[in-house]
Amino acid sequence: MSVQEAPEWERRSENQSRLAFGLAVGELAGNDDKVVAISADTIDLFGLRGFLEASPERLIEAGIAEQSAMGIASGLATTGMRPILCGYAPFITARSLEQLRNDVAYANQRVVIGAACGGIVLGMAGGTHHAVEDLAIMRNMPNMTVVVPADARQTWHAAMATENLDGPSYIRLGGKFEEEPVTDLAGDGFRVGRADQLRTGGDVTIIACGALVAPALAAADALAGNGIGARVLNMHTIKPLDRDAVLAAAAETGAIVTAEEHRTTGGLGGAVAELLALEQPTAMRMIGMPDEFCIVGPTAKVREHYGMSQAAITEACRDLLK
Amino acid sequence: MTSNYQAKLEGLQNDALHIRRNVWRALHAAGSGHMGGSSSAADILAALYFHHLRLRPDEPDWPDRDRFVLSKGHANAALGAALARAGFIDDSVLDQFYAYLSPFGMHPDIKMAGVEMSTGGLGHGLSVAMGMALGARMQGKDFRTCVMIGDGELQEGSNWEGAMAAAHMGLSNLTAILDYNKIQQSGHVGQMMGLEPVAQKWDAFGWAVREIDGHDMAAVVEALDALPFASDKPSMIIAHTIKGKGVSFAEDSFLWHNNLVTDEVYEKALAELGEPS
Repeated sequence: MSVQEAPEWERRSENQSRLAFGLAVGELAGNDDKVVAISADTIDLFGLRGFLEASPERLIEAGIAEQSAMGIASGLATTGMRPILCGYAPFITARSLEQLRNDVAYANQRVVIGAACGGIVLGMAGGTHHAVEDLAIMRNMPNMTVVVPADARQTWHAAMATENLDGPSYIRLGGKFEEEPVTDLAGDGFRVGRADQLRTGGDVTIIACGALVAPALAAADALAGNGIGARVLNMHTIKPLDRDAVLAAAAETGAIVTAEEHRTTGGLGGAVAELLALEQPTAMRMIGMPDEFCIVGPTAKVREHYGMSQAAITEACRDLLK
Repeated sequence: MTSNYQAKLEGLQNDALHIRRNVWRALHAAGSGHMGGSSSAADILAALYFHHLRLRPDEPDWPDRDRFVLSKGHANAALGAALARAGFIDDSVLDQFYAYLSPFGMHPDIKMAGVEMSTGGLGHGLSVAMGMALGARMQGKDFRTCVMIGDGELQEGSNWEGAMAAAHMGLSNLTAILDYNKIQQSGHVGQMMGLEPVAQKWDAFGWAVREIDGHDMAAVVEALDALPFASDKPSMIIAHTIKGKGVSFAEDSFLWHNNLVTDEVYEKALAELGEPS
């Protein structure tokens, strides 16, 4: 899609997933008068200033109070409203975890949680502001759908797809200090729970999500230069996992590398490993954060430090094929 | 005071007695449970379910019903007893307290008819109730939302986030009731982590506050009838109550926050409570 043809939301999102999500909130609110945004002092983080000015009655400011914000979202949902809670990934998962588990997941309320600054996009901010366990937390919540869009455009489609979800959902987004990749995903065919196969290949499969989809594609291109066919799956939905895509990749390529901006335990790599261990044991490598708190630094440097990069993904694939 | 009004109060006192007896019945069936905080809340629950709340027990999901959230979820035996008496659930469910696959466990479960929110983790109900009150306001509905909070529960900081927000939003359709029985699991609230001056705290947070004797049915009814206490503030009823009210050996003792209920204990409790009409 050329720039000239891009819809307004895509132009205004400036390739930032958090802004794409905020724009989608406005679109969803236009489609359904039950939709209401909840901010935890996150209006500008999500680009909701215009929405607030146009529809002040549709945005609830809960203040810097994630526990209360989560409870309010649940209570609203019980009355038939469609709350979309806009929070910081590190805080909206960990700070309000019991409200998330009890009031939202256990009570199975239709709350959409947009989580900006997922992973280490706030690399310079330190461990208090990194969210590298959020997927493990959310994946362990029964009833929860967990999505990590690969770019701003996919974020828009993921947010719009929540119109048709009955239970709670979590959408992990980027932050404002980092340029996000633009992943050339085929069309607008986003489906919750259905992986995008972005490259075909029969030697190895790279299963990636979020910010590591672009490096995964670059790794596949590098491997192709050496005659190695690397399949790339954009596993945007961590839960429910696309079992068929994972099992087919294991059967057809026999080697799996997962890549995520998250600890290698409990997130995408964990989900894939659990499935394969039970159904089809397959040689694997996992790209992601080790069991430690992340160093401080610019996001690109921090990613490189921990091997969340094209080079490390390429090396993991080669290592697996030795 | 008219004789009709007096008869009404006596009817509600009888409802409360049914609730208390059924609390002990459910706990006896389970073998143990939270008699203390269930009994302290019984008079207020009777006034709520049989006087104040607008409900349709045969249509539990009626969209315009008033909402009640039991934030102190460990008093679920009393809530179940009220829901059974109101007709939301069958009376036989009370004998299924804690039982295998029962809808009626130690804490409220939203899947049971009449239960508005799954609670049990303390400090959750106020913000959830706030969401319900906001849902009413945003949809132009006039249903009212009421949440009962325990006193020990107020030690959870999330309550104060909610207290601040509800006042800031001017949610006059929201009422909180503090079941102030002065006892928590391990001792007296005032010794564990005191709340006083609790009325001034809620006033300072922007709520319209009234203090009542939570076992004086006339006072409970009068307070509920006076809601909202202010047109632009949420209302707080601080109900001074007695833990374990109605059974002498269980009253005002943290040992009877949650305890075993043997056949002997059960018979003594029922004998002290007396027969309802």
